[in-house]
Amino acid sequence: MTPMRAMVIDDSRAMRMILKRIVTKLSFEAVEAGDGKEALDLLADMTEVPELALIDWNMPNMNGLEFVMKVRAEPRLREMTLVMVTTESEQSQIVRALAAGAHEYVIKPFTEGAMIEKLALLGLVPTGANS
Amino acid sequence: MSVEVEVDENDLAEMVEQVWEAYLDPEGVSPLMQTYDENQPSEVHSSVSITGSWSGHIVYSSSRAAAQRAAAAFLAMELEEVSEEDISDTLGELANIVGGNVKAMLPPGAQLSLPQVVLAPESSARYPNTERISGVYGLWEGEPVSISMWQSSTDTKEEGA
Repeated sequence: MTPMRAMVIDDSRAMRMILKRIVTKLSFEAVEAGDGKEALDLLADMTEVPELALIDWNMPNMNGLEFVMKVRAEPRLREMTLVMVTTESEQSQIVRALAAGAHEYVIKPFTEGAMIEKLALLGLVPTGANS
Repeated sequence: MSVEVEVDENDLAEMVEQVWEAYLDPEGVSPLMQTYDENQPSEVHSSVSITGSWSGHIVYSSSRAAAQRAAAAFLAMELEEVSEEDISDTLGELANIVGGNVKAMLPPGAQLSLPQVVLAPESSARYPNTERISGVYGLWEGEPVSISMWQSSTDTKEEGA
């Protein structure tokens, strides 16, 4: 069976490493990008679209919100599950991200357990994967 | 624009606790022990700036040993594997996380900068026309760590006007 793939998009290498560790533990194959533009460039070259993208908000070149809007405007990428993973925790920002097409929103700092629970809610990992 | 800042030491301490629980001490065995010593030494620091409805900086500073330990915990590495880049990345992300959470407590219209990291003491930092308004100071496994909040004096002056 082909493993599911997750794209980890964050300008912080440290945060990419944390997220990569979590998704790898959940048997995803991880692909990293340092900003929204790099992520879109990588997606353009992929024949198979990753099932999941974990997206920071504040990044240089192209921020996470712009990335979400670009993905939602591209039919080929429609099936991607988009999760914002960010310090932007104001209600208005959460609403903007969800309105733009993000499926879930995780606020930093997050525990590994909290992230896994969110992914389980999205049906991307088995419920109880955290235990 | 003038705003009354409602982020105090307790709020910062709560954020610090969350960061420790999530990344630096998930087992809950080595919390940051507060010393309340505003003059404790630092060897490295990182910061994010906030502009808009409030102007100032959030600064994370620590000893080099604490920074190395933070990177090891953050990146799930052995201490001896930690590189300068790992320390720099981790310090930047810690400032970003605390800064982002502070921003969420400010009136709408605040913007957060990307983090800056300086592998030199906080005292070498130049934040002209700022005033420290809040901070958490402590020891983590015996090493100094602090998170402080500096308000631009233009904001302060406006508040007093």
